[in-house]
Amino acid sequence: MEPIIKIQNLKKSYKKRKAKEVIQAVKGISFSVNRGEILGLLGPNGAGKSTTIKMICGLVKPDAGTILIDGINNQDKRLKALNHISAVLEGNRNIYWRLTVRENLEYFAGNRGASRKEVAEEVASLLEKFRLKEKENELVNRLSRGMQQKLAIAVAMLANTDVILLDEPTLGLDVETSYEVRELLRSVASEYNRTIIISSHDMDVIQDICERTVIINNGQVVTDDKVENLLRLFEVRAYKIALGGLLTERQLLLLEQKFPHYTYIPDTFQSSLEVDLEKSEEIYDLFDILKLESTVVESIDRKSINFEQIFIKIVKGEAEHEMAQSS
Amino acid sequence: MKWLNLLKGNIRKEYIELKRYLPNTIAMLLTFYIIFLGMFAGIQIVGDPNTADANIQYVIVNYVFWFLAIIVVQDIGWQLQIEATQGTLEQLSMSPMGIWKIMLMRLISTVLVNFLIIIALLYLSMLTTGQWLNVDVVALAPIFILTIMSMIGLGFIIAGMSIVLKQVQAFLQILQFILAGLTFVPVSVAPVLAFLPIVKGVDLVRSVMIDGTSLLGIGFGDFMILVFNAIFYFVIGFIFFLYCERVAMKKGLLAHY
Ligand SMILES: Nc1ncnc2c1ncn2[C@@H]1O[C@H](COP(=O)(O)OP(=O)(O)O)[C@@H](O)[C@H]1O
Ligand SMILES: [Mg+2]
Repeated sequence: MEPIIKIQNLKKSYKKRKAKEVIQAVKGISFSVNRGEILGLLGPNGAGKSTTIKMICGLVKPDAGTILIDGINNQDKRLKALNHISAVLEGNRNIYWRLTVRENLEYFAGNRGASRKEVAEEVASLLEKFRLKEKENELVNRLSRGMQQKLAIAVAMLANTDVILLDEPTLGLDVETSYEVRELLRSVASEYNRTIIISSHDMDVIQDICERTVIINNGQVVTDDKVENLLRLFEVRAYKIALGGLLTERQLLLLEQKFPHYTYIPDTFQSSLEVDLEKSEEIYDLFDILKLESTVVESIDRKSINFEQIFIKIVKGEAEHEMAQSS
Repeated sequence: MKWLNLLKGNIRKEYIELKRYLPNTIAMLLTFYIIFLGMFAGIQIVGDPNTADANIQYVIVNYVFWFLAIIVVQDIGWQLQIEATQGTLEQLSMSPMGIWKIMLMRLISTVLVNFLIIIALLYLSMLTTGQWLNVDVVALAPIFILTIMSMIGLGFIIAGMSIVLKQVQAFLQILQFILAGLTFVPVSVAPVLAFLPIVKGVDLVRSVMIDGTSLLGIGFGDFMILVFNAIFYFVIGFIFFLYCERVAMKKGLLAHY
C-alpha cells in the first residue's frame, strides 16, 4: 500500500534573529507513514520534532526535501495538500479563549469552508465523544487545560482529514488528564480510522498510543521501528548477572574495553553486573572475561528494560540500532 | 459556497465578540464621542464663527472615516499580533482555503459589522451638533465601496507586516495618526495627495455630504482616480500580503515558537 505520507531528505535551518548564527533544526529526515497508522515521533527537546510537523502542515517551508501527502507535493500544491491534514500544535493554544467550546468548533469549520449546518451532526458527536457536552457554551478561558486540549483535538477532528498531527498533546497536563487524553486518542484512532502522528519527548506517551516510532535526535532519524520490536530487541541485549564474589582489576579493565557502559556493584558475597550486548554473540566475550579468574556465576537474567531506557540509550548513542524494516 | 461559509463564520465571530465584550465596545464608542465633543467645542470656542458650520461638517465626515479606517486597517494588525502569540494564527494558516481568503473575509466582516456602528456615530454627531449632512446613498455607496477597497488593501499590508515583524506594536500605535492624516488632510493642499489611499474617497464623500454634489455631479476624472486607487492599493496590499506569507513560512513565523 502507498504510504499516505512520504517524507524524503527534509532539511531546515533557522537564522537566529540579529545574530548571524544558523540553527540546523532538521538535517535530512526521511520516513513514511502508512494509512491508518499511529506513528510516534519521539525525541528530546530541540530534536526537531515540531519543525518536522510544521513542515508537514505547510507552516514552515523546508530548505530541501519533499513531503508527499497522499501523493500531493505540499510545496507545489500547498492548499490541496492541506485538505488531507489537520493538526494540533504545541501547548493547547490553537483555540480562541474568548469564544465558547461550540463557537470554536463552528468557527474553525467555517474557516475550512463548511457551514454550521453541514457540521452540526459531527459537532454533536464530537462534543459527546470528548465529554465536552456540558461545557459546550462555556468560554474556553474558563476550561481546565485538559479540556482545552481536548477541544483543540476535537477542532482538528472536525476537519475530517485523513491525517491528524498532534505535537506534544499531553505536555503540561497533569497525570490524570494526560491518561484521559491518551485514552481518547487511542479510541479516536481505532473508531475513526485516521492516520495519526504524535510527537512527544515523553516515551511513555508514545509507548502507550503508538504502534511505530521514529526516534529523532539532533535533527536526524536515529531509529524507525515498531515499539514492540524495540522493546524485544533491547530485552535480549540487556543482561544482569549475579556473581559469587568480586571481579579483579584485570577483569574490570577488560570489561571497560569491551562493554563501556556496564554497571558493576561490588559485594564480597554477591556482586552484580549489568551489561548491554550489541550482538548476542558478545555473551561469549563476557564469559571469557569471567572465566579468566574463574568467577562464579550464580545467575543470569535478562534485564527487563523499559522504553524510556531504550530511548535514552538510543539518543545518547550508546546503542547503535540499525534501522529495522518496519512493515 | 465555501466563500460564503467563510464569510458567514467570520461575521459571526466579529458579532459575537462585539456583543460579548459590550463594555469594551461601549467604551470605544464613548471615547470616540468624547473626543468628538472636544473638537466640536474647540471649533465653537476658538474657531472663526463665520466658518464654524463648515468646519464642524468637515470634522464630522473626517472623524467618522478615521474611525472606520482605524477599525479596518489597524485592527487586523492587533488581531494578528494576538493570534500569532496565542497560536490561532497557525490554525488559520492550515486552512485549505488559504490565509489570504480568511483575511479578506475578516476585513469584509469587520466593515459589515461595524457599518451599523458607523451609521450610529454619524447620526449621533449630527444630532449633537445640529449639522445635518446630505446623506445621498446613491452617490455615497460607490465612493464608499471603492474607498473601502483601498482600506482593505492597507489592511492587507498591515496584516502582512504584523505576521512578519514581531515588534510591530509601536508602528500600530503610530498608524492611527497616519490614518488621521489620510482622512483629515484636504486634497486641495496638494493635488498629488489624491493618489494616497483613502484621501480621494474622503474628499469625494465630503463633496457629497457637505456640498451636496450628486453622483453625476462628480467629475469623471475624480471618479477614475478613486477607481484607480481602489484597484491599485487592493492589488498592492494583496501581493504584499502573499509575499509576507512566504517570508513567514521560510522563517517559521506562522507557527508559535
Ligand atoms: N522559528 C524558529 N526560529 C528559530 N529557531 C527555531 C525556530 N523553531 C525552532 N527553532 C530551533 O530549532 C531547533 C528544533 O526545534 P523544534 O523543532 O521545536 O524541536 P522539538 O519540537 O523537537 O523540541 C531548536 O534548537 C529550536 O530552538
Ligand atoms: Mg516541540
